[in-house]
Amino acid sequence: MSSKTVIVGLCVSAGLVWIIESGATDVFLEATRPDFQKIPVGVVGIADAGGPESPEGRIKLGTRIEEVLKADLRRSLVFSLVDVASLGVKASMLGSEPHPSFKQATEQGASVIVWGKAGMKSEDKDADVNMEAYVYDAGSDELVGGKRYVGSPAVVRLMAHRFADELVFRYTGEPGIARTKIAYVAEQGAARELFVMDYDGYEPRQVTADGFLNLMPRWSPDRRFLVFTAYRHRNTQTIDMIELATGKRWTLVSWGGLNITPTLSPDGNFLAFASSYEGNSELYRMDTRTKAVQRLTVNAAGDLSPTWSPSGRELAFVSDRSGGPQIFLMSGDGTNVRRLTFEGDYNAAPAWSPRGNWIAYVCRTPKKEYKLCLITPDGQKRVQLTTGPGVDDSPSWSPDGRHLVFSSTVEGRSHIYMINADGKDLERITHTGTHNSAPAWSPAS
Amino acid sequence: MLERTVLHRSHKKLRKGVKNMTRLQSLVGVPFVIGSCLLMMAGCASKSVRSGGDTVALQQERQDRGVSGQEVPDLSPFGQDGGSLRGLDKNPSEERVGSNALVAKSDPGSAARQLDEIRAEQAASVAAGLRDVFFAFDSFVITEEGRQALARNAEWIKSNRGVQLKIEGHCDERGTSAYNLVLGEKRAKAARNYLVELGVSPGQLSVVSYGKERPFCKEHDESCYSQNRRAHMVVKGGS
Repeated sequence: MSSKTVIVGLCVSAGLVWIIESGATDVFLEATRPDFQKIPVGVVGIADAGGPESPEGRIKLGTRIEEVLKADLRRSLVFSLVDVASLGVKASMLGSEPHPSFKQATEQGASVIVWGKAGMKSEDKDADVNMEAYVYDAGSDELVGGKRYVGSPAVVRLMAHRFADELVFRYTGEPGIARTKIAYVAEQGAARELFVMDYDGYEPRQVTADGFLNLMPRWSPDRRFLVFTAYRHRNTQTIDMIELATGKRWTLVSWGGLNITPTLSPDGNFLAFASSYEGNSELYRMDTRTKAVQRLTVNAAGDLSPTWSPSGRELAFVSDRSGGPQIFLMSGDGTNVRRLTFEGDYNAAPAWSPRGNWIAYVCRTPKKEYKLCLITPDGQKRVQLTTGPGVDDSPSWSPDGRHLVFSSTVEGRSHIYMINADGKDLERITHTGTHNSAPAWSPAS
Repeated sequence: MLERTVLHRSHKKLRKGVKNMTRLQSLVGVPFVIGSCLLMMAGCASKSVRSGGDTVALQQERQDRGVSGQEVPDLSPFGQDGGSLRGLDKNPSEERVGSNALVAKSDPGSAARQLDEIRAEQAASVAAGLRDVFFAFDSFVITEEGRQALARNAEWIKSNRGVQLKIEGHCDERGTSAYNLVLGEKRAKAARNYLVELGVSPGQLSVVSYGKERPFCKEHDESCYSQNRRAHMVVKGGS
């Protein structure tokens, strides 16, 4: 039996499985364990213990940190926020010891109570900020512990993010996503450049300033580098890598033709990418240590947009070998190719969840709208995640597999949005600029 | 549906093209071989990859064209164990939170230089009276109108032998960034191939795709989309 027959056979059987499965109406979608119950947490408050003067009056550092912390806890999807105002306790009344009334917290539905304070060491506006916060567990009726942070006024948001991640780590053993970053492309005049911002859209920083186009960044597994589609010299097009801390640049692929959609394997050992060097767009992988290149696809059609499975053993990618673009899967060495998507005539930009259970992609709906869809790697379940007008593009998973970021023109200009993997809590995270696109969520630290 | 059919047909043509390489070569002429024909390249490349001997040479060439003398640093992760998190403590000691400066300051110097060069190119292209080629949705097939525009461009290029022309492939905002880069390249190559058929020296032409990343207009309607689906001709500076 020829390899073609095998592929056709696989495609047909996968198609049949899908047709049978699509009859199911109640596809249950849960990015984490289906039995996971959120932990109800009550934030008493982060008291204001002095802040710098500003034209609008004294800056309330505690209030600011409390807002960031609550948003982080809500987005963690590990905790749910419970109002504990009826306990009659104010954060300013508390030190490092829990209040006796916390024993009644369970009656308010809270299992965990958090409180703290934040302020400046002196009136000087460049003086250090101090923050401390504590955690009480209502179930065991004891102080779990706390944190004391010190740092410049520029890092108050980071203090809140760190504390949120400590809480997630304490209750799940996972590092949390509050300190993760999002790399993206922002329009600067006629140019498009790489930027990095906090996962909640704050603290944007410009990474490249070539004055032309830099596109589709992807993170290295250690978060120190971005690989991306670069047009440093305007007329030629390369795959580059940049070290964020130093701005040092490498050109990894500078063959003739289009060199696009680079992505590093989870162990950092391979760079998968597409190049039209040999005629039409084909997939390759480069060993990042020896620089040896292996061609993965041999096809008269376009192959592009590889995304690694979390094990690094498989790749999902886009191919238009059957007409319009569709998602295909193959082993990391280019063998065992099989088609994954069969619904619709345009499916592209796949992103494999870090948990391995879903592949997100852009699907063109019967109304010719470009929306986000999810499909399981076995093709058995498929869900359309977003609806309505606008072009959605470039889905990227959070490292905990519970969220996606993507770009959308749903409100006119292209901006970056976050959505839960179950389709809830759509949140716009960029609010300035003329065009923000191609978000890539960093690994957790 | 129409667009899909057009695309599908082109692919059939593509596959046929690979099979009938010799016929194509005789049609197009020898200069075409030099890194210009996507159909032939696909055919040749797949053969060389399969036939052992050539693979090494190809690999070597790729390496030469790749990372140039720079060692790629170790890219393996540190491991995900909560990273720098130190855990909650009943008697917490003071922990300094470092500055958020993950990112080095970028140097905007080259941005201004590029902008000047782009303006000069635009002025030269307008002065030459070069016409753009427009495409149907999802298609890279050159229309009758497109052929007329390219015929005029061909005359100008042939009478200006010293000029280097860049053909940019562009797309409308619908579809993904990545797939539109591939579509943009197909449009630019279609325009380039037709110019070569009209007798333009391939050595004067280069192609680049900008996908949906450098649109001419930004409205979300067909009158804007149709302007963005184009192969744009630019007289390269510095030649």
